[in-house]
Amino acid sequence: MKLAGLKSVENAHDESVWAATWIPATETRPALLMTGALDETVKLWKSDELTLERTNTGHCLGVVSVAAHPSGAIAASASLDSFVRVFDVDSNASIATLEAPPSEVWQMQFDPKGTTLAVAGGGSASVQLWDTGKWKLIATLSIPRPEGPKPSDKNSSKKFVLSVAWSPDGKRVACGSMDGTISVFDVARAKFLHHLEGHFMPVRSLVYSPANPRMLFSASDDAHVHMYDAEGKTMVAALSGHASWVLSVDASPDGAAIATGSSDKTVRLWDLSMRAAVQTVSNHADQVWGVTFRPPGGPGPRAGRLASVSDDKSISLYDYS
Amino acid sequence: MLKSGEEHEEDLEKQRAAVVELRELEKSVEANPDDPFLRFNLAVCLWEKCECKEKAAEHLVVAVKLNPQNATAFKYLGHYYYEKEKARALKCYQRAVSLNPDDFQSGDALCDMLDQRLGYIHLHYNRCSEAVSTLQHAIRGFPTSPDLWEALGLAYQKLGMFTAATKSYGRAIELEDRRVFALIQSGNIFLTLGNFQKGVEQFQRALEISPQNVSANYGLASGLLAWSKECMNMGAFRWGASLLEDACTVTDKIAQLAGNFSSIWKMHGDIQLNYAKCFPWIEDDENVEFDVETFHASILTWKQTCYLAATSAKKSYQRALHLAPWQANLYIDIGIASDLISSMNENYGQDQHPWQLSEKMVLGALLLEGDNYEFWVALGCLSGYNALRQHALIRGLQLDVSLAVAWAYLGKLYREEGEKSLARLAFDCSRSIDPSLSLPWAGMSADSQIRDMTPEEAFESCSRAAQILPVAEFQVGLAKLALISGSLMSSQVFGAIRQAVQKAPHYPETHNLHGLVCEARSEYQAAITSFRLARCAIISSGDTSKSCLQDIAVNLARSLSKAGYAADAVQECESLRKEGMLDSEGLQIYAFCLWQLGENDHALSVVRNLASSVSAMERAFAAASVSFICRMLYYISGLDLAVSSILKMPKEFLQSTKVWIVASAIHALDHSNRLALAVSSSQYSLLSHDEIIEKHYLTALANLVKHGSDYCLGFQSGISHVKNALHSYPNSNLLRNLLGHLLLSCEEWKETHVASRCCITEAPNCASKQGLKSGCEILGAGAVACYAIGNVDPKFSYPACGYQCLNGPGAVQELQKYMHQEPWNHRAQYLLILNLLQKAREERFPSNICVILERLILVALSNEFYSRESMSYQYQKFQLLLCASEISLQGGNIAGCIKHAKNASSLLIPNNYLFFGHLLLCRAYAAVDDYTNLQQQYIRCLELETDYHIGWVCLKIIESLRSTFQLKNPLRKLVHWPVLRAAFFLCHGVACVKLARQFCSSDYLSLAVNSLTSAHANSVIPLPIVSLLLAQAEGSLGLKQNWEKNLRLEWYSWPPEMRPAELFFQMHLLSIQSESGFKNSIQGGILSKLT
Repeated sequence: MKLAGLKSVENAHDESVWAATWIPATETRPALLMTGALDETVKLWKSDELTLERTNTGHCLGVVSVAAHPSGAIAASASLDSFVRVFDVDSNASIATLEAPPSEVWQMQFDPKGTTLAVAGGGSASVQLWDTGKWKLIATLSIPRPEGPKPSDKNSSKKFVLSVAWSPDGKRVACGSMDGTISVFDVARAKFLHHLEGHFMPVRSLVYSPANPRMLFSASDDAHVHMYDAEGKTMVAALSGHASWVLSVDASPDGAAIATGSSDKTVRLWDLSMRAAVQTVSNHADQVWGVTFRPPGGPGPRAGRLASVSDDKSISLYDYS
Repeated sequence: MLKSGEEHEEDLEKQRAAVVELRELEKSVEANPDDPFLRFNLAVCLWEKCECKEKAAEHLVVAVKLNPQNATAFKYLGHYYYEKEKARALKCYQRAVSLNPDDFQSGDALCDMLDQRLGYIHLHYNRCSEAVSTLQHAIRGFPTSPDLWEALGLAYQKLGMFTAATKSYGRAIELEDRRVFALIQSGNIFLTLGNFQKGVEQFQRALEISPQNVSANYGLASGLLAWSKECMNMGAFRWGASLLEDACTVTDKIAQLAGNFSSIWKMHGDIQLNYAKCFPWIEDDENVEFDVETFHASILTWKQTCYLAATSAKKSYQRALHLAPWQANLYIDIGIASDLISSMNENYGQDQHPWQLSEKMVLGALLLEGDNYEFWVALGCLSGYNALRQHALIRGLQLDVSLAVAWAYLGKLYREEGEKSLARLAFDCSRSIDPSLSLPWAGMSADSQIRDMTPEEAFESCSRAAQILPVAEFQVGLAKLALISGSLMSSQVFGAIRQAVQKAPHYPETHNLHGLVCEARSEYQAAITSFRLARCAIISSGDTSKSCLQDIAVNLARSLSKAGYAADAVQECESLRKEGMLDSEGLQIYAFCLWQLGENDHALSVVRNLASSVSAMERAFAAASVSFICRMLYYISGLDLAVSSILKMPKEFLQSTKVWIVASAIHALDHSNRLALAVSSSQYSLLSHDEIIEKHYLTALANLVKHGSDYCLGFQSGISHVKNALHSYPNSNLLRNLLGHLLLSCEEWKETHVASRCCITEAPNCASKQGLKSGCEILGAGAVACYAIGNVDPKFSYPACGYQCLNGPGAVQELQKYMHQEPWNHRAQYLLILNLLQKAREERFPSNICVILERLILVALSNEFYSRESMSYQYQKFQLLLCASEISLQGGNIAGCIKHAKNASSLLIPNNYLFFGHLLLCRAYAAVDDYTNLQQQYIRCLELETDYHIGWVCLKIIESLRSTFQLKNPLRKLVHWPVLRAAFFLCHGVACVKLARQFCSSDYLSLAVNSLTSAHANSVIPLPIVSLLLAQAEGSLGLKQNWEKNLRLEWYSWPPEMRPAELFFQMHLLSIQSESGFKNSIQGGILSKLT
């Protein structure tokens, strides 16, 4: 289990790169890497050479989050001004523009079947679910307020929702908040189930294990990565090693490893069986905002790929084996 | 000091014993390594006797392990660790005390340490007041512990006692200069107190010690930011911008160190945003020729810099927000930054896109913190919908009714909407809540019409607004109001508009107003540059509205003509004329410049153009045009045409003061009085005090011209008019000075002594130079003219002038004051020199005054004025050279005297004056007995001739002294000047007596008697010597009676202490002759003189 650097693009964007995800391969083309940056653009890159496929403009502020439909046909990008642009990957035609009140769009993820887009609702302390057919808001999963019925503005900013993740079976949605709690929802009933506790600083990234639908990984500013049994409300393990905030976490498609990116400018690969970091990559010059494993499938090389993006405006691609 | 042998012996003995004991103990410890008692003894021996604490400690550790009940061992260990590890020491002491509660040494040490520790603990749990007292207690025990002082400082800081805190931190830094924490905290306190410079210094010191310290860097950046804001509020934009540049490098460095602190990015954003607002446009070198392209390029570069800074600010805020999206104020910051960016774009305000970015971001902040009234105010400012703006501002006021800013913006909003009365209410509310807010003041001045304010009041309130906040809009408004209220000269306006040029160089208005301000301050060169810039700004902005271009062109032409570039001004006017936009003001400038260039015909045609458009003008402007036309006609076509055109024009124009004054000035010059009726009929329209005085002034001058002959002005009638006018307006300086001037200029010189009395030496700082001469000049000139400078001490000389010149002695002082006030005024210097020379002459040239005079003249002659060709300067130079020459002559420096006098006589001035140069040369040659040169100069004098009697008198004296020349007698006919008459007769008498002695002729004697008798009769007070000579002459003629009488007269004409020996001798002769009782008194006098 190791990472081997394949390619690095310096100055891939004009400004810090904040978000990255892989668009799954379709029948006509291999998987693409999609990155969003402070320079208000979204760029699509072809693997493995990381040649620039297209640059999408149109956002008014920095792009904070990108998400790809499991089919690989459509993708969404969200900027700081809370506009979500949904577009056709191949033609770059806009499919929909979802607008939310400012501060209420953060991380996004399509559900595994591709029927729903979950959006971490930031200041609204909720997760919005959008129907991907009609692009209508179908549900708002709100975190219940512990202080009773009286809503207080201070409280909502404590529950500021930063991150969201779908369970692989599509039944659960987990969201991470600024105060370090993780909330788990039952999607079918649109009901809050429980909190997962353990972090005491903002949880910036969440991912379910593709191999184990109960297993949830969380990355937090407290420099730890936690493994939770999301159904059983228990923390399985805490992985320590990063010197600063953990900004991003992603699980490998085989479910054997996770990768994390951090403010300490490193990317770490963790072996889940050993529950320890097996490799630390430090080729970025600034904090690493996103790490993402390429999903399996499609033509082209079958080998695992990991991409990382950073404030130093660069993108790095690694071979994962 | 040497120890005594015995003591020394004893010491050695002890040491030996200790070593022996140590050996024994070591041996026994080796033998029984598990005996704690032995080990303890060994350790104590090592500690006490051998000062070997390390080794002792080792043994003690073993000893207490073997026997944990040994309290004394713990005490020693406590002492050992005290210096090294406080925590361990504390434990040891605690153990010692618990084993042996009576161990006071351990107890004391324990207490001290606990105090210290307790202080830290209190502090840690934020119980600051307890911490302060405990720490103060602990400091008594450890006064040199920097940790304690630092902790005390922190406690004070948390309590808000900032001065005490800085003192404590200062003490900590004093004790140990590498206290980074104390430095940073005291820096923070200085920032809180607003002493940014000192704060920045503290942070810089901290960074010298630890350059990577994030909080020191952060403090430095925030200090620089706050400092630069202060600079911006003062209007020192360049300074502020340079501070911000420094701050930016600091934040860049911190971002490297700790890129995931949102506060750092927020700071970076703040710095960049302020830089975008503060970065000034810097005018290129003024001498460089500029055109539209270079101007456009420089504006673009400036805009680009600001734009880049603003975008960078926006990006930094986004980074901050990305790191901490739950912080509501960051949304506002992004909103403000993007609003600034869009305002920098050209098409700002044109597309009202729904959901502007800035507006939306502010809403984001409000979603997070809806009860923050500042956010509502921000929404009220940034929103594009007036209804929403009003709502937001009112919402803000609901949350805090005393929110002055919200009231101010509400007022601004209502003003934009046209709700003037509501706007007024809102502004008044805001101002009454917070008078230090600039916007309501600005709003007040903008609403001056509704508020019935005078332009002065509007100007005042606008200047307050601009003073509180130096924003370009306010400053431009201030300059406009200054234009209306006529205070363009004030330096406040000048400073404001200079700053506005730095901040808003792309508005043509700014440059235009800058030009007007410069013009008002007579800085025409700068004005021309500004008007040109204004034109460039219009052209480069693409807005080529004709009226603005025309106004600027007229302004430019006017400044050009004022600065003396008539040809350029004409060019401007011609290009305007081609455009067909030459209005009446332009026509005036055009005509004036054409006249300056000598193109009189052309100028006349322009004047005719102007005249044809007069009837269509409004009243005030028509008057200005008419008076201008009259003046031009006079200058170009002469008096007659001017007179006839004034006669032709409608009479109502003469009602205007301006026109009337021009007309009456022309009337004054017109000997045939054609305008008399026109002028006198409308003179009653003059109302104000100043206007009437002006009228009298003009009439007096007119009298001078009209009642004078070709060679001489009619001073008498002028003087009498001014005298009459002064009766009605006794405190008019203008008239008084004119009277003084006229009296002095008057040919008869009868009333020079009155001149200095009638003028008023102005109060200092009286800048307005009205009239022909200032009071001081008249005073000085009067004192020179009126020979008697008022020497009250007859020891030196006898006043030849019967009038008592009242302020005579004050003249020198008065002139010194004048020169002190205006050291650049060469006229003051000149008058002072002349007055001093007179004083020196009266006092027989005392050396101190001569030295002063020499130096003054040297300085004065070096003045560049005197190298000018103009007659008056040449005359003054001549006078100064004569003075220098006279001083040299009196000081015995004949060579210098001759040099100066020769210089003087080589000047190009009328013979009338030149005479005196040669006269002085005569005297100089006479003093060295150089007869050939003397004769030459004498003949030259006779050739030149002079109108001044005193010159002839002096010449005659020289002649008579030398008696080598034929005595001519041309003098008698010159003697009709009463003041000098006595002196002249005296001279003549003396000459005759001398001649009589030489030629033994009684004819001369009788001539002398006649002259001397006349001298006696003409003198105001009895002149000495006259009677003595008369007595001699008459005695020689055999008239003993007269001799006796005259001698007696002579006796009384001398002051008692100054009577010469000659007189005593004569009186002695007299007393021998006469046997009267008078004799005794004389003898008494002689005796007293002899003793």
